[in-house]
Amino acid sequence: MVKVIYVAKDGTRTEVKAQVGDTVMQTALDNDVAGIVGECGGSMMCATCHCYVDDAWTDAAGPRKDGEDDMLDCAADEVKETSRLSCQIQLTPELNGLVVHLPEDQV
Amino acid sequence: MPLAPVNDHVTMDQLTRDPYPIYRRMRAETPVVRVSSVKRTFLTKAAFTKYVKDTPEIFSSNDPNTPMKPAFRAHTLMRKDGAEHRRERMAMQMAYTPKVIKQDWADLYRGIVDDYLDRLPRGETVDMFTEICGPVSAAILTHILGLEGATTEQMQRWSQNLIDGAGNFGWKPEPFAVSDKANDEMDAHFASLEDRHLAEPNNSAFSIMLNAKDPIPKSQIYANLKIAIGGGINEPRDAMATILFGLLTNPEQLEEVKRQEAWGAAFEEGIRWVAPIQASSRLVLEDVQIGGFDIPRGDTVMTIQASSNRDEDLFENGEDYVVFRDKNVHQAFGSGPHHCAGAHIARRTVGEIMIPALFERFPNMSLPDPDAVKWRGFGFRGPINMPITLN
Repeated sequence: MVKVIYVAKDGTRTEVKAQVGDTVMQTALDNDVAGIVGECGGSMMCATCHCYVDDAWTDAAGPRKDGEDDMLDCAADEVKETSRLSCQIQLTPELNGLVVHLPEDQV
Repeated sequence: MPLAPVNDHVTMDQLTRDPYPIYRRMRAETPVVRVSSVKRTFLTKAAFTKYVKDTPEIFSSNDPNTPMKPAFRAHTLMRKDGAEHRRERMAMQMAYTPKVIKQDWADLYRGIVDDYLDRLPRGETVDMFTEICGPVSAAILTHILGLEGATTEQMQRWSQNLIDGAGNFGWKPEPFAVSDKANDEMDAHFASLEDRHLAEPNNSAFSIMLNAKDPIPKSQIYANLKIAIGGGINEPRDAMATILFGLLTNPEQLEEVKRQEAWGAAFEEGIRWVAPIQASSRLVLEDVQIGGFDIPRGDTVMTIQASSNRDEDLFENGEDYVVFRDKNVHQAFGSGPHHCAGAHIARRTVGEIMIPALFERFPNMSLPDPDAVKWRGFGFRGPINMPITLN
């Protein structure tokens, strides 16, 4: 198990335990974390699981995947350098303690 | 495991008139069931429909042998999988982003809605379905796609002709003759606009596809535009009419929606309650089990998202229009690779612009006789009239 921390736009922190191998999106859905919609179920087709990886974690989370840039253009909120689709971040032991910030709008 | 039970008695006519009591019973008694009249295995629970849509390696959209191909005169992205589908879809996706809507279109859309509302008489009962829901949806789509010059009448007729052709599972010649004529008209109109879109690139879907660095073939650009015409008018039209019905028959909720400006929630609940696209087909590529039944390779399953959206496992009082739900994880936009490409547009145009504009203009409009509203449709569903008194 690893730990993931979701920080909502208003600063609320939600800390959940997650399975290695799961995605940051699926973990949010399984734990009822508000602010991640994930409407397409992780197919990288809806941009409703947008998150900003905390500056301290961007290297560990790795670069954007193939096609992720284009889909991020469809996100409802501002896209920053740290923007990722959380369905494309798969949890590894190295990501234990990962902090992601959530945008105000997903749809 | 056994094969799914067979339902020999439900008819297409019953499903078209009012499928919801049938689905409620199926969810309780036969959530996986082979329906003889439709020749499909119906899946009526949310977990099953989501699983199928999210697992394209087993449940394929790729079926060139449906009437959609002659109706659109193309093998469209709706019936493709994998990289080929993604490439054709992403070729137009930028036109459907929240950013483009906000920057390029929102004011124009508001203007279109206002224009149509200006034409309506006060104090009279008007069929808002034909006067507003249909033409406004068509007018807005014309701009999104970059098809200026097409009338709302043409856009709506083309859309209906394509849908009728694609649903012509009896393979009768007449619907294809009609869709052929529509295809000729669309092809000619598209061709007449190409030079302008190439000379003056803009954020319409047509222009974005034509001016791409590595464009998809012309045949698929045209096919994509036709898919957007077939799929981008009736759905916002039906969603708008359904939401009007839901709000006007629940005046306490309407008051609260106005007070909180909860138009987005009213929109989501409308498409949950009566999903404009009720069912989708997938071809089964390998033997698989769903809900304790063997589903053999070669079978065609039908995800009934209309039913999933009222699944008792997820929704309390799912048969009712209830805006203020704790969670509303409906599947009206589908899931998986074929998740509705127009979802962001629909949320913004219908939810944020059209519905609030209607109530702003006619704050006391009413639906004097809700029983006069007729609902129709199995694959696509919504009201077919909406007699509202405007004041």
